[in-house]
Amino acid sequence: MGILLQLLFNGLGIGAIYALVALGFVLLIRAASVVNFGQGEFAMLGAYFLVLLFKILGLPYFLSIAIAIVMMAAFGVLFAGATYWPLRNRGGIPVIISTIGASIFLENMVLVLYGPAAEQIDGLFDEPGIQVGPVFMDSQYLSILVVATLLVILQYLIFEKTLLGKKLQATSQDKEMASLLGIPVAAMILITFAYSSAIGGIAGILVAPILFVSVQMAGVIALKAFAANIIGGYGSIPGAILGGLSLGVVETLGAAYISVPYKDAFAFLMLLMFLMVRPQGLFGERISEKA
Amino acid sequence: MRITRRAALLSAAAVASFAIIDRARAADTIKIGVTSPLTGPAADVGRIQLNSARLAVADVNAAGGVLGKQVELIVEDDQTTNPGIVLAFSRLAANPDIVGFLGSIRSTQVNAMAPDVARVGKPVMFGGTDPTLTHHGYKWLFRCRPNDSYSARVIADYGVNTLKLKKWALVYSTDAFGTGGMNALTDSLDKLGIKLALSQGYANQQADFSPVVLAVKQAEPEVMASYFTYEPDCALFARQLRQLGVRTPWIGSPSIISPVTLGLAKNALFGTYGIADFTPDANDQSKAFTAQYQKAHGGEIPDSGWTFDGIKILCNAMNDAKTTDPEKIRAAILSLKGYKGTEGEYNYDENGDGLHGYNIVKNDKGKVEFDKHVEMTA
Repeated sequence: MGILLQLLFNGLGIGAIYALVALGFVLLIRAASVVNFGQGEFAMLGAYFLVLLFKILGLPYFLSIAIAIVMMAAFGVLFAGATYWPLRNRGGIPVIISTIGASIFLENMVLVLYGPAAEQIDGLFDEPGIQVGPVFMDSQYLSILVVATLLVILQYLIFEKTLLGKKLQATSQDKEMASLLGIPVAAMILITFAYSSAIGGIAGILVAPILFVSVQMAGVIALKAFAANIIGGYGSIPGAILGGLSLGVVETLGAAYISVPYKDAFAFLMLLMFLMVRPQGLFGERISEKA
Repeated sequence: MRITRRAALLSAAAVASFAIIDRARAADTIKIGVTSPLTGPAADVGRIQLNSARLAVADVNAAGGVLGKQVELIVEDDQTTNPGIVLAFSRLAANPDIVGFLGSIRSTQVNAMAPDVARVGKPVMFGGTDPTLTHHGYKWLFRCRPNDSYSARVIADYGVNTLKLKKWALVYSTDAFGTGGMNALTDSLDKLGIKLALSQGYANQQADFSPVVLAVKQAEPEVMASYFTYEPDCALFARQLRQLGVRTPWIGSPSIISPVTLGLAKNALFGTYGIADFTPDANDQSKAFTAQYQKAHGGEIPDSGWTFDGIKILCNAMNDAKTTDPEKIRAAILSLKGYKGTEGEYNYDENGDGLHGYNIVKNDKGKVEFDKHVEMTA
């Protein structure tokens, strides 16, 4: 029983990492109808900003985190200007390809500027974790679970309870109509990119003490985060969270009780099953073609 | 400003003559092709290996070069992937001036490029340790590290006969390197009358090792062996292992004592044992090479010397054969006996294996201490 509980906790912890990155995907899908394949690189960049501020410049840890998040928000605006804005009227596919190109560029830019060495960085707490009965709770996994929950609440409040959120949703649904209604479409999209980039950065900063800071850290989680987004329901905030958590638990239990080498296969098998049986995901709306 | 026809012709002639001189100068060097992980998960290790190869070239050139010419490395990025190394090797192989190659430390990559190596028919010095790589009839592959049949025998011998531990668990990567190690260790322990209590594979580059750690914990071994391909995987596993309370003595393949792993895992690896093909203080050559590397690279300690040895052996072979003819270079490498390199004493056998033993080291609070060298007879 102790083993099962430990696996469940670790599954939820790794699932929370997928969920955090998936949240960034959801934001851009909801507000700008953009699937951003550079979302994983946002996480990597956030972690590298923390390394720069904390380890190289020697700033205090929590101040470094705050500045890194602000830097990521500013970077999101730049990213939008480079990858989205020039292609905004050419449909979804060119923007997707543009974000893939940008992700390759970012990886290689970091490699050139910082080098290939993986970096170890401190977690939020000095204590590695707490022992609760038979379960060791890693403090960084706990932090990720708490932050993911807070961000979900924040995003729900922004999208459902504020005028800004309504404007963002209106921009996503019909940019022309939103513009006619006086919504500053360009500003809405830039805000979304900035917020999404900041969320990606937070994910990277929280994941860095577990996965280490390296150019490859994004690749390990970004694909699973995208799968979590599909499983949870395309563009759904609670779906991204539940999709991420369930993906983490399924692959961890599958690895422990069936086969460790096929761990990734369990995650993508789950994705395939959803695509076949419930393509709209856990919280998504049924999509049907209009007459 | 008007450009006259005469000025244009003179400029063109100057450009053409520079190109000819440059080409003539390039043709006047002995070229060795290098497939190196400049990008990808092994880029950090690849950087050290490439630096080491360049130091060897500097030594060779300072001593007069090869056949009276200076040696030049032509480097292509293998991206730490199998398609990457196949592409990198094919680019290099298209250059007829290249006389030999430095391949990969990753067995899976050597496996991927091996058919092309056979087609090209020029010597490739490599570092992958899967024992089967030199047993498929690929006569152009020359290994500059001891293979895993030796590593497994040394791990098994040290665990059973020195540490006196009988209940074993093994954690290994499911790639060619890890699977080769798993087969070799299973076989070596079998010969000592021991069956593995747990043989647990994993896929590379995981974000969470808790299922593997808990499998080890449940097996309750007296000693654990490991074959990790990537250093961050080894470090993450080590940390989760300690967090979940597993304190079993651990003997790992060389990645466990790589500076990259030590830097990431820190105290999670204290007290572990490793087998090392290269240890800075194992012999006079490794001590001299380490000092040379540290002087050239800001005090950094290298984690291997096989690329340094590989370049020197290849160059020695060309000088001994007095030609760049591939068959004669091959014969010169195979006849090499008692060559003292940074990784040990090279005595090539008919399969292309140059080394036949390993060092045992211990992680003493982050410092890798040399224990002993174990040389195996065939």
